[in-house]
Formats: sequence, C-alpha cells, structure tokens
Amino acid sequence: MRKLYFKISWVVFALFIFINGANGQSLNFSGYARNYIGMLLTGNNDYAIIQNTFNLNIEQSKDKVAFKANPYIYQYPNQEMEIGLREAYMDIYFNTVDLRIGKQQIIWGKADGVFITDIVSPKDLSEFLLRDFDEIRMGITALKADYYLGDNTFEFVWTPRFTATQMPDESSIWFPKMDFPVSPVFDYSQNQVEANLENSEVFAKYSALTSAIDFEIMGGYMWDDDPTMHITKTIDPQTHKLTGLTVTPRHHRLGLAGGSFSSTLGGFVLRGEGAYYNGKYFNSEDPTLADGTVKKNYFHYLIGMDYTLWGIRLSSQFIQQAILDYDEPIKNDEYENTMTVLASKDFLRETLRLELFSYIGLNNSDALIRPKVIYNLADGFELLLGANIFVGDTGRFGQYDDNDMVYTKVKYSF
Amino acid sequence: MKVKYFQLVLMAILIAVPTLIFSQAKITGLKIIENVYNRETGNDMQSDLTMSLINSRGDQRVRKIKQFVKNFGNMEKKIMFFVSPADVRNTSFMNWSYDEAGKDDDQWIYLPALKKVKRISSDSKSDYFMGSDFTYDDLGDRHPTEDNHKLLREEKVDGEDCYVVESIPKDEEYTYSRTVSWIIKDKWIGLKKEFYDEDEELLKTLTVKKYEKIKGYWTILSNEMHNVQKEHTTKMELANVKLDTGIPANKFSERMMKRGLK
Repeated sequence: MRKLYFKISWVVFALFIFINGANGQSLNFSGYARNYIGMLLTGNNDYAIIQNTFNLNIEQSKDKVAFKANPYIYQYPNQEMEIGLREAYMDIYFNTVDLRIGKQQIIWGKADGVFITDIVSPKDLSEFLLRDFDEIRMGITALKADYYLGDNTFEFVWTPRFTATQMPDESSIWFPKMDFPVSPVFDYSQNQVEANLENSEVFAKYSALTSAIDFEIMGGYMWDDDPTMHITKTIDPQTHKLTGLTVTPRHHRLGLAGGSFSSTLGGFVLRGEGAYYNGKYFNSEDPTLADGTVKKNYFHYLIGMDYTLWGIRLSSQFIQQAILDYDEPIKNDEYENTMTVLASKDFLRETLRLELFSYIGLNNSDALIRPKVIYNLADGFELLLGANIFVGDTGRFGQYDDNDMVYTKVKYSF
Repeated sequence: MKVKYFQLVLMAILIAVPTLIFSQAKITGLKIIENVYNRETGNDMQSDLTMSLINSRGDQRVRKIKQFVKNFGNMEKKIMFFVSPADVRNTSFMNWSYDEAGKDDDQWIYLPALKKVKRISSDSKSDYFMGSDFTYDDLGDRHPTEDNHKLLREEKVDGEDCYVVESIPKDEEYTYSRTVSWIIKDKWIGLKKEFYDEDEELLKTLTVKKYEKIKGYWTILSNEMHNVQKEHTTKMELANVKLDTGIPANKFSERMMKRGLK
C-alpha cells in the first residue's frame, strides 16, 4: 500500500511539474540529499542508524499569493521507505494581514533546543532530540493569521485536529525507559483525540521587535502533546501483592500562558522565556490515587545568554521546571534543573566549523554531549563528523547511557 | 574721503584674500571623512550583490545577496536576503544603524532551518562577513568620531584629485592600527583604502573599480578587497541598482525576513 502511495505521489508530482512547465510558470526547487550513518560505541558496534534522505522544497509565489510543499523521503536499507509531507501550505498576503493555510511548522519563543512556549508544532522524537530541528518539529494542519501594526505582530493559530508527539517505536533504542514494578500491558484504546471542532486547538501571540527589546506574549488552549500514563493496578486479593499493571496513555486538555524576550547588553544577548501550564497531569506513587496520576499547575522557564569570546560563539541557558503545590509522591522532582551550553568557532573562511552542544541534567547529574566538525568541501556540499555521548545512568539523558555513538552526515544542498 | 574709502577696500582685500586661501587649505582630515560619511546616497536603494571569494590558487566561491537599504532620518535600516549558495538560501539578515555616536547597531538573523528570527550582538564588528575579506565594519559606515583623522597630502589617483587621510582608531584594541584613505575631492568617494594590522604592516587594500552617478548620487558599483598577507581577494559587484524607488518602511521587518524574496 505504501509503495503504491509512493508511486502515485511521484506520478502526481511529475504531472504537476509537467503542467506547470507547460504553463510557463516558474517553480523554485531547493532541498538536499543526505546520507547519515551512526554507529554505537558499545557492544558490537551496532549501527544506530543508516539513513538516506531526500528533502525537496517546491515554492512558487505571485503578487499576493504563494505556496510551498516540502515532501521528504527517509530510506533505510532493507526497510520500506518513509515518505511524507513536512509542509504543504498556501499564503495569502494582504496589506497588513497574512494568512497561511495548510500543513505548516510554527515556531515560537526565544529558547534554543528547549520547548517552553514553542508548543504549537508537536515534536518527532523518533530519534530522541538528535535530529536537526526542522526534522524534530512536525508540520500541523492549521490556519494561521498574522496582523501587522508597525513592528508589532498579532498572530492567531487554529489547528482543527490535534497531533501528538511522535514517540520512538517500542523496539527502538530511543524508546524511553519506564520504571514499573511488574511488566505493564499497554492499552492504547484511549490514546486518540477524536477529530471534531470541539477538540481543536487555538493559540494566540503578540510579538514586537524593537530597538531595545524583542518580546512575545502568548497563550494557548491545547492538548498536552505528551500522553499521561494512567495506571490501573491488579492486586491479588489473597496475597495483596501487585500482579498486573495496565497503562492507558491518554491526552488531556491544557491551558497555558507565557512569553519570551531577547535583548542586547553590550556584547551580550540576554534571552528569557517562561510559560505557566494550567492543569498538567503527572504520575504519582500516592496509593490513594485510582489511576496513579495527579493534576497540578506547572511553571517552565529559561534564562540564557549569548556572547563571543576570542572568536568563539558561546551560548548558555538555565532551564527550570517547577511543579506548583507539589506532593511528595509525584514521580517527577518538584524542581528539575537543566542547562545547555553551546560553543562554536569557524575556521578557514567559514568552511570549517567546530561545535560543541550539551544538555546537562542538574538533578540526575546526567548529560548529552554533542561535539561535531562540519566541513564545506564545496558550496552546498557538507561533510559532518559528530558524536553523541550520554553521561549518567538515570534521568532524561542518562537513560541512554548505552547509546553513545559516532556518526557522519554527508549532505548535498541544491 | 576717497582715500579713506580706498584704504578700507584695500584693508578688506588684505584680510579677505589670505583668509579665503587659508580656509581652502584648512580642510581637516575629520571634515573630509565627515563629508564621505554624510555624502548623499539617496533615501533608499536596492541592488543585487555578488561577492566572489578568490584564494591564492585562483579558486573562486560566489555568494549572491539581494539587499535593500532605507534612510529613516536618524537611522538607517538594511535587509539582506541570501540567494546562493544553496545551503544558505532564504537566510536573511537585518541591521538597524543609528546616527547617534556610540549607539550600537541592532541586528537580527533569520535561519530557515530554525524558522526563527534571532537577535544577535553587533559587537563583533571585526568579524569577517561570510568568509570574505570584508569585516562587518568595513561594509558599514564607521562613524567618523571613532577615529582620529589627519590629512596627510593631496595627490592624483587614476586622474582624480584626492585627499589622502590617515585614520587612527581611538580604541587601541581595534582590528586595524590605522587606515589610509584616498578620497576624491569633488565627489567624496573613497577611491582606495589601505588597512594596517596591529604590527603596522599592510594587511589589506580596498580598491574601487567602478562608480557611477545614478539619479544624481555617486554610487560605488564595484570594489575589490585584497588581503596582501594571505593573498586572498574578495570582489563585490552591485547590479540592478535602483535608488529612491520608495521602498516601503515595512520591508525592514520580521515579517519580511521570514517571507524572504517572495
């Protein structure tokens, strides 16, 4: 079925180009082909990934309208190809209003590599946080309207259908470790949010870009992209011992309000971002709770700074997630603190770049360290050698301690 | 009475003539550089910039940029859209610079992979622009008050009468220890400029190759920066130059950075 879909897609695509060419209209094509090979540093040096990618951007614009389609193919040896549309939208430009209709990536906030107010587009975590950011952010079908007044922008987004975070397969090395006393049975019967108007999501943002400061104020009435794991216990009435667990992932409504800013102070760029989540579910070990979950308000914020020292671009961010009105049995810590650090420097007239990016989990003393070397052999032809080193045993990064890897990416952009 | 009148006229001539001669010769290095800085260049300009990076072996890399500039009175806004190479296509860069001495530029960059406009620091003006031989400061209008200027001499270059002005930065940590500029007298265009490194050795030479009067404004269309120490050259050529077309103010906005050249 997928192969058929693939063939049909390409026939339609070829036909489209032919018709378009016949009409004498000019389409813009850009994109890249990429080979990506990753090898684990543990065990038998298994390949973490062997992937060939073809990513195409097709764009056309006229005076008041424009369109873009971004089909992509991930090809894995001896596996079926994964094809998809990252974006496919149309733009309508008015004097002070722009409308964008269709599948689109919508990115908000001032944070780098951290998702606080950037919650409109869900994440594809098939490969944890290792993919490029344009591949982590999934396109969603939405209507986006922007109204411009000087340097101020009012943005409204309506997504008719909820899209959840794309989690790794259970067989994947990136499937998160779950700590249960007995092997659970997963019941996915309630994992879907029914597609109807009542279940749609709305987001709004006011932003301004000024000489002194750039800032955003946002709010959303949405679904939590990550499902809550509702747990039903089966207890032997005679021994009173736990004999079974049923885990039922379910998405919940979530309201949030937040904002972000960015400003310069001498040679420094200061950034901040925060959001207040009203009614987020957390797993708890409180035995009185029927399904092992509790609803709490939650605050997620970041402060960051960018600066250059001896030609090295440096950036660091401190992130805190705080559960308000905390109960001791909640599995998450009351305060979870994380840091990110970035250092990069260009050499050989910007044809060679050394970069080091790291997430550091301060609660569990774990980290993900990502050094890379990128060399532009020719314009648009990039060779990348990198490593992903996981430090620690537990925590968001430490759980992947066995997944240390080195990888290469060869990319041709056109 | 007639004698008295004659004496007065004579005195006036005796006072006025040397004053006029003296004032002609008295133009200072600072005044020359201010005249270059304040040269009328139109209210707005758009052009296609081609930047060719040529190494000592003659290998060439080409960058193409579409740029728009507009004067807003006490500030100037500039937006650049990168056209090629392919891996930087649709990246855009915006700069707001201010006449007020000492006020830093505001700068933003839009990276299509991140789909986000990021504010960046304009502090690193000594960094080289896109791997070229031009620093950000070489490309912008360095404020005359940032250097001490001295008129060295006057001489003819390519048939043009030029002032030769030495500029020494007030900030001792600056990239160049001094620069020497050849300014065409009646046009206030820098025809040639030498840049000296911290050891007072010649580092780079900028040569203007082509300039024209467009809509009444002298406009540099082609120049070349040669790094004599690294034997590397960057050629900059402007094409499709349009002046005073009335570029709307909203061209210099986050909206247009994201939209790109559509």
